Amino acid sequence: MSADPYSDRVRALFARPEHAGTLEGGASASIDDQGVRISLSARVSDGQVEAMAFQAYGCPHLIAAAEAACAELEGRDAVELLEFAASGLMQSLSVPVEKTGRILVLEDAIRSLGRVITETQ
Amino acid sequence: MIYLDYAASTPVDPAVIESMAVAMAAPGNYANPSSTHSEGRYSNELIARAAGQLAELVGTSPDRLIWTSGATESDNLAILGAATYREDRGRHLVSMRTEHKAVTDPFATLAQRGFEVTWLDPDPDGRLGLDKLQSALRDDTQLVSVMHVNNETGIVQDIAGIGELCRERGVLYHVDAAQSCGKLPIDLDALPVDLMSMTAHKFYGPKGIGALYIADRKGVHVDPMLFGGGQQRRLRPGTLPTQQIVGLGETAAIATQRMAQDLEHLRTLRDRFWAGIQDLPGLIVNGSLEHGFPGILNVSAAGVEGESLLLALEPLCVATGSACNSKSQEPSYVLRALGLSDELAQAAIRFSFGRPTTEAEVDTAIALYRGAVTRLRQLAPAA
Repeated sequence: MSADPYSDRVRALFARPEHAGTLEGGASASIDDQGVRISLSARVSDGQVEAMAFQAYGCPHLIAAAEAACAELEGRDAVELLEFAASGLMQSLSVPVEKTGRILVLEDAIRSLGRVITETQ
Repeated sequence: MIYLDYAASTPVDPAVIESMAVAMAAPGNYANPSSTHSEGRYSNELIARAAGQLAELVGTSPDRLIWTSGATESDNLAILGAATYREDRGRHLVSMRTEHKAVTDPFATLAQRGFEVTWLDPDPDGRLGLDKLQSALRDDTQLVSVMHVNNETGIVQDIAGIGELCRERGVLYHVDAAQSCGKLPIDLDALPVDLMSMTAHKFYGPKGIGALYIADRKGVHVDPMLFGGGQQRRLRPGTLPTQQIVGLGETAAIATQRMAQDLEHLRTLRDRFWAGIQDLPGLIVNGSLEHGFPGILNVSAAGVEGESLLLALEPLCVATGSACNSKSQEPSYVLRALGLSDELAQAAIRFSFGRPTTEAEVDTAIALYRGAVTRLRQLAPAA
């Protein structure tokens, strides 16, 4: 039997993405690249990310990574988005190397959202 | 688990398993069928009976059949063998962009050896327009290969019409019938087909056994690819696997009896499934319901990513594109040849139904597909 391409965590995040959707009135950023589309939105208060949401068109690893990133970034300082690196997500979700590019699109989207937030503050 | 991937492979019919077990266990059945002693002759009788069963299924005589390991080997033997045998008559070959890799790869190999291959595009419904074939045939064309039923879309080609054109021009015609043998009526004595590839595991037989039909007609012959014995007129030497051949024979006998009811069953299931999903916006049937084998329905959903759709459909066992190619993230070359965008080709799911499929399973599949497409579209940002 060949190995399951998805870890239990990827399966769980993909099946129940609690941060799926958009945040009305929040800052937002979108990227369409490498065959995937990501749209992120965040509500920020006093420089802190209060809530994040995502929409994504892409493979299960991308959707799981977007969900995990949104959960991870809530409560963080918004400036941290500017330096966000997806390497930790790739490791924790066992993202196969051929999908690295797609997760880096997510990284770009998060950094782009960080710029939108810092520019409007 | 709901298995809707019968175009990839099928469960072995219990009666076939029983026949194979008997062929392996009965005293004397282990003998080499090429041996001239009594036990060998008995094994040979089993093989002769199986040849008769397969020959009856496809409307030919048993001596026109060569046993192989399956359709891939049959395709290779037919294409490489015929092209090299007839090389002095011309080095131009014709096939379609929607053929299985077991056909396109041997042609690519021949192209590397100096043959010229014309690849024909399908019409939008997946069929080959006979006018296109007519235009492609040349004085130096020596072989055409166009499959009967496409493994991804289920499109049924007009093999009688294609064969007639080939006969008129003195060109050999090979048919990959991996998806149609045992599922659609085939009468090789009446069809203008020179070479036909078949395999057991697509119609409830064992893996590892197939056959190549070679017409009894002047100029129809193949050079062997294997060497090492005189079996099967030296065209495909090697000790014959008695139990596998017996299994294919039994598979064929069952298919001969059941074909009409199987086809009716598949048509009912395919129509039920399509009726249950067709109102979803942005659905595209890849191929054609009118010209499609009823056991296969290939559908793309706009705005849905294929790999995510496949996971969201679990526990359905279905395929994106060809199962042989399923580890690749590349969009199906077959669907791209039909004119689909990368995105739509990647979002294609092949549902293939089988003898054991129930209406309740189809209803579950409908619910899962509707739910998955709706959820993934909600999840996706606007294009």
